[in-house]
Amino acid sequence: MTAALGPAVDWLAVTGAVAVAAPLLGALVASSRPIRATPRTVGVAAAATALAAGLALAVAWQTGDGQPLGFGHACGGGRLVFIDGLGAALVPYTALMATATLLVAPRRLLDGAAVRRALVGLAATLAVFVTSHPLALVALWFFTARPTWRSTRLTPGGRPAARVFAIYMTAAVACMAAGTLLLVADPPWERGSGPAGAVGGWLVALAVMIRKGIVPFHSWYPAIFSGAPMSTALMATMPQIAAYTAVRLLVGHADEVPHALLMLAAFALVTAVYGAALAVVQRDLRGFIGAFSLSQSALVLAGLAGTLPMELTGAFCVWISSGLSITGIGLVCWALESRAGDISLERLQGRFWDSPTLAAFFLLFGMASIGLPGTLSFVADDLIVAGSLEAGVAAGLMVIASTVLCGIAVMRCWFQVFGGPRPADSPGHAMLLRERLPLTVLVAAVFGLGIFPGPLVQSFERAAERILRTSAAHAPSPATLPSPEP
Amino acid sequence: MTGHELIAALVVTQLAAPAATVAVIGVPALLGRPLPERFTSLVVGVGFAASFLAAAATLGILAGRGFRPEVVHVATWFNVGHHDHTIHLVADALSIPYVCFSSGLCWLVNAFAGKYLHREPGFARFFVLLALFGTGMNLMVLADSIDVLFAGWEFLGISSALLIGFFHERANAVRAAVRAFTTYRVCDAGILAASVVIHRAVGSGDFERLFELSWPGGECLVAPAVATLISLLLVFASLGKTAQLPFSGWLPQAMEGPTPSSAIFYGALSIHAGAYVLLRCGPLLDEAPVAGWALVVIGAATAVHASLVGRVQTDLKSVLAYASMTQAAVILVEIGLGWRVIPLVHVVGHAILRSLQILRSPSALHDRHELEAAIGGHPDSGGCWPVDLLPAGWQRAIYRVALDRGYEDMLVGRFVVGPSVRLIEAAAAAERRWLAWLGGDPRGGGS
Repeated sequence: MTAALGPAVDWLAVTGAVAVAAPLLGALVASSRPIRATPRTVGVAAAATALAAGLALAVAWQTGDGQPLGFGHACGGGRLVFIDGLGAALVPYTALMATATLLVAPRRLLDGAAVRRALVGLAATLAVFVTSHPLALVALWFFTARPTWRSTRLTPGGRPAARVFAIYMTAAVACMAAGTLLLVADPPWERGSGPAGAVGGWLVALAVMIRKGIVPFHSWYPAIFSGAPMSTALMATMPQIAAYTAVRLLVGHADEVPHALLMLAAFALVTAVYGAALAVVQRDLRGFIGAFSLSQSALVLAGLAGTLPMELTGAFCVWISSGLSITGIGLVCWALESRAGDISLERLQGRFWDSPTLAAFFLLFGMASIGLPGTLSFVADDLIVAGSLEAGVAAGLMVIASTVLCGIAVMRCWFQVFGGPRPADSPGHAMLLRERLPLTVLVAAVFGLGIFPGPLVQSFERAAERILRTSAAHAPSPATLPSPEP
Repeated sequence: MTGHELIAALVVTQLAAPAATVAVIGVPALLGRPLPERFTSLVVGVGFAASFLAAAATLGILAGRGFRPEVVHVATWFNVGHHDHTIHLVADALSIPYVCFSSGLCWLVNAFAGKYLHREPGFARFFVLLALFGTGMNLMVLADSIDVLFAGWEFLGISSALLIGFFHERANAVRAAVRAFTTYRVCDAGILAASVVIHRAVGSGDFERLFELSWPGGECLVAPAVATLISLLLVFASLGKTAQLPFSGWLPQAMEGPTPSSAIFYGALSIHAGAYVLLRCGPLLDEAPVAGWALVVIGAATAVHASLVGRVQTDLKSVLAYASMTQAAVILVEIGLGWRVIPLVHVVGHAILRSLQILRSPSALHDRHELEAAIGGHPDSGGCWPVDLLPAGWQRAIYRVALDRGYEDMLVGRFVVGPSVRLIEAAAAAERRWLAWLGGDPRGGGS
């Protein structure tokens, strides 16, 4: 990890700093009394500034020399500020999701305090993606979880979900803190390390499983989608900070913690199939989104255990494609709920008549999330299936089973929500510009990145190669390896 | 421009013309400003016409060159390490006549649908899906790799399900669409797995590495065991789209869609997509007698089943659906027996006849009255049926079985779908109880 600060790298630092600072500044403005602008205006302006800075960061990375930026305090193989191809993609991706959710959010849910919580959560999430410092990651896990818990708790009827979330996140942060301290104190990638580092690796893996919603620690996922505002649920799950942590603390040292990674991948595959199966039988739209996103996001972790750049690249592509698509589905759900209340899947809802355009958006996002050719998820699925087959036939079959079940779940859900005769309570409200604009941008992103995936895939491949090279560089020299048993 | 460049341009046109119409009609509809009806059908018609004419020109050039296959490199979509996704298309004696046939048929049905669906809500939606189907069909037919073929195959499945559920206000149409898509999706696992096996076996999805492209001949280039595995997976994938046992139940229900789409999908093109894939991969089947015999057995069983069940149906579209199923089954038997040209001729002949019958089905009573008026009485419907030779008790038993559609739906529901769904619902219920306990929710928690 170099600390070279050339002209292009300067831009990485500047744009990264602006991306993190803008939401914090927005949160300050939203907290001040009185303000002239509406909370939505403040929130959207801050998130859009972070998005613009994130896009500039991605451009700076693409036009740079391909060397990651790393400076600040070093600890456990990480640096306080660290930006590579993965971070350069995740910053604009997360800022785009935040901007879109703030635009679509119903007015009644967007008071000053809600916007402040959303922006603080966004700043903490973006900060995660520009660091690889283990202790900073521990702290940021807490700061990203707290606004989610608070927002859920303040939602009418959301206390049970907040309680479930709090239980799981407390366990996750505790495991993460203990595991990270052990890893830092006794790094398994250094000569003469003892068993403490290995225990630390297992604890971090356990923390990642909980924070990521991997079976059997997945129950907070459907709970948060059922009990929290959609923006909170999406921002708590789709950036996937646990997967990012796994990349920095586990994948980067894959030779030292191979069993922990393999365990993560095995449970992630089970989660992908189980979540997809649950999505098929859900009784309401939010339950469907919770189970579906559980399945889709688990595939990311399944790919991270790979030893080839292709597998990691596939995982990174699934990360972006599933996040954009599920955000789109979630926002359509939110727009529907703002017109007609909770959406059941137990009988045909006939919501096509409310807004055919929302139906079209839902279908596009749904198809884009299950591998429609021409979308980024087709690219991602191709790489993930090919990569998982390299890992073994069973893994490949599980990925295929998950893909099949997700497809069935999406189509069933679309027809249950939009099929059926015109309901008596059909308001027939056309889409608002603030709904249409973010959904159109998300569709353009999903299809644009799918039709021209080259730059994104190459950027991810470079990042994957570097991460795997780091792993190889940290591998113990042959002299230190224990001799084989007779 | 060299001959190869000319063929490349024409092949890309066959694909790009219908694909462009999807965007031209779809984007304004998505933005809430659908194009006028007349312009909509005109644009799609022009797309299919351009595709047809380009295919006809390619056919002429290929005929002049003795049908020597031409592989067209369109683009490298993306590549990671040794894994690349390259778009290769092939112009040969199988693909180009098939594109002529499919684009021509889509063009005709487009003209019919422009009148048939006049002032129908969802007019633009129908034509977007028709153009998407045409694009997928041409992509699948022209594919020179399993990856490209799978992309076209996916478009077929999605457009098919959405057109079955076109009248989404009807519960039956929605049920039929979900059932058809579920069947497709389950069988798609076969083509996905075949894709993976091919990549592992030859390091790429290109057909040229699997077999020689000299249809109807061609040598298989992989070991018999690999050829058998790939062939069995492709046979499994084909069973869903061609509605063969035990995946045939969706086809009669699929007639809930608009008549023009039923004609093009279940009378003509979609129902034969599986047969096309097997014809394309014929050299693999030649090396895999097990897969060939599987096709013969499944095809023969489906033909008998569909023939019997079709004879006791009381509505015309169901009769036509089972007739399609019967002929598709016979075509699979022919492929399983190792024939290549006869099944292709059978596909084309059956598709033309059946799509005409389905398009005329809304006017069947009118046609019947005209016929009776012309001949001055009822046409003779007599004749000797093999079933008449059986004892009366057997005839009644067969009638009951046929009336219950061979108990296929009941058996699949009771032994496969039912237990699977009950298992998943039990897991979902356990999740809800766990969440309720953990969240301290007195109402039962979760969803």
